[in-house]
Amino acid sequence: MNDRVAPRPWWVPAGVIGFGAVMLYGATQLGQSDAHSGVGPGLFVTIIGIALILLGTALGVQVARGVAFTSTEGADAYDEVDDEDRTHRGPLLLAIASLAAPLVLMQAAGFPLTAAVVFAGIARAFGSRRPVVDILTGAVLGGVAWFFFNWLGVNLGPFLPWLTER
Amino acid sequence: MSTLDLLLHGFGVAFQPVNLLMAFIGSLLGTAIGVLPGIGPALTIALLMPVTTSLEPASAFIMFAGILYGAMYGGSTTSILLNTPGESGSMMTALEGNQMARRGRGAAALATAAIGSFVAGTIGTLALSFVAPAVSELAFIFGPEDYFALMVLSFTTISVVLGNSPLRGAIAVAVGLGLGVIGIDAQTGQSRLTFGSLDLLDGIPFTIVLVSLFAVGEIIYVASRGPERDGGINPLSGGIWMTREDWKRSWKPWLRGTALGFPIGVLPAGGSEIPTFLSYAVEKRLSKHPEEFGSGAIEGVAGPEAANNAAAAGILVPLLTLGLPTSATSAILLSAFQGYGLQPGPLLFVNNAELVWGLIASLYIGNFMLIVLNLPLAGMWVRLLMIPRPQLYAGIVIFALVGVWGLSTSWFDLLLMFAMGLLGYAMRLYDFPAAPVLIGLILGPMAEQQLRRALAISQGDPVALVSTPISATLLGLALCIVLLPPLLRHLARRPAGGERRAVSRPAP
Repeated sequence: MNDRVAPRPWWVPAGVIGFGAVMLYGATQLGQSDAHSGVGPGLFVTIIGIALILLGTALGVQVARGVAFTSTEGADAYDEVDDEDRTHRGPLLLAIASLAAPLVLMQAAGFPLTAAVVFAGIARAFGSRRPVVDILTGAVLGGVAWFFFNWLGVNLGPFLPWLTER
Repeated sequence: MSTLDLLLHGFGVAFQPVNLLMAFIGSLLGTAIGVLPGIGPALTIALLMPVTTSLEPASAFIMFAGILYGAMYGGSTTSILLNTPGESGSMMTALEGNQMARRGRGAAALATAAIGSFVAGTIGTLALSFVAPAVSELAFIFGPEDYFALMVLSFTTISVVLGNSPLRGAIAVAVGLGLGVIGIDAQTGQSRLTFGSLDLLDGIPFTIVLVSLFAVGEIIYVASRGPERDGGINPLSGGIWMTREDWKRSWKPWLRGTALGFPIGVLPAGGSEIPTFLSYAVEKRLSKHPEEFGSGAIEGVAGPEAANNAAAAGILVPLLTLGLPTSATSAILLSAFQGYGLQPGPLLFVNNAELVWGLIASLYIGNFMLIVLNLPLAGMWVRLLMIPRPQLYAGIVIFALVGVWGLSTSWFDLLLMFAMGLLGYAMRLYDFPAAPVLIGLILGPMAEQQLRRALAISQGDPVALVSTPISATLLGLALCIVLLPPLLRHLARRPAGGERRAVSRPAP
């Protein structure tokens, strides 16, 4: 595929190097060696940090040379990715927002209601145009999942927290 | 006790009614989830992990065995009917199988895949029953430095084998290793890289990383590719059974696929990609109808599918005997073992013989159950694929939420899921393989432990790491794997550089 995701995605090697730097920073607060084993808790962290920075730098060189990040094909439903490689911003942001919703809702509203919102959001990101049906479907699915997994011994929190906890 | 006695004893465990029921529920749930597009065996096990929390270890692992085979069967169904392999092992199946389905031979493709999986799974499990105890005896002579060398070899081969680019594979491994050190250091009790967060003390849960990278990241990615262009599902037609001709063309590929799959699966870095590719290539070469390849040759389904299942049995050998996971699926199984406080390795065969042999016996049963249940039920699973795409993916997210929120109803886990999902999306976008992250995450702490143990014995002298023939050989191999490909590429560059086979990375 000729059409790459972005011509020069500098932030990817930067992210790898950044993670390596965090590792190294964390390692400075740990002992590199101890009398008992010769190896302290920090040594392995240091090694990984250095490895990440080296690998990130190598990736940076690849990016600078314009090496293509070949798109993965074949793994996606309905072949839809193959003929178009453009990122659609609207669905992308909606999907991300829907996945962030549990962070706000889960503890306050409980599993079934959260499931309803997430379900409707994801379905819309994938092009569904029946929000009411989706919300109801999600609520039913969430409710059924709650009871089914509860029966199997999985705790999914209170059903409707705002009812039970005043 | 001989292997046979132990195995019979294992059947005694597996045939207990409750365990039979678990194997049944496992293969049913495994197929149901595994048939969903983009969901492979590893993700299926991760999503169903909370279900097993209230079970005895033996029952839980018997259920996992059912889930594993069910998910693999479900995956091949999706590959054939929808052309959406959920894991790298079924990519080759999709290649020919989907062509067969488009030509109205979907039922025969499903049948040859199912029977081939059964044949390969049974032979593979049989081989596992005899190879694993022998390897576990062998594994007793492994010292910490040998284990460490083995894991280093595993890291390097995984970087090279999984994905399109060794560099991106290595970065994925390193990211996994980095995530793995977060939390309390098992040996000194110091907290590492938690930056004061209490939630990070327990480390990054493996299940969450798996679910987020594979399911959440994938869903964001697919959503971002824009609205659906309906490819449609290929209806099942042409009868459920195979013709005489199909049988004649299938049985040899089944056996050849098995012969390729199991031994490669046993290798410390085997996985299921290489044997399925090899099997496909072999069948294409040996076929009397090579012109049919690419447009629905049944050998191209029978061989790789058998190789995939035989490799799945082979992968259990290093997992059970050395504690070494070589695929995302065995990594999640390893984390399940650890969840029960069990560490796979040679001692497992001694201390938990009942569990190990129960598990092996249930592999036979799960395999048998699948062919009895799923050949007739194929039509029902196909109906699951007719759920419209928006609702299907939305439903998968709800399952992922159950898998993560059900772990400990912790808000931090949700945050982690969100963050890892974004990471998974970025990795998907820039074609980083996700499986090495998981293997790095779970194997990293084990490698570190062996490293520190080896250096403690030698009182800090690093020469100890290459002091035994095993460790020196394994580290030498690891070095070759890193250095040889660029060297060969350099040499090959002079006569017009050969085209590198593009292998895409589907989520498992």
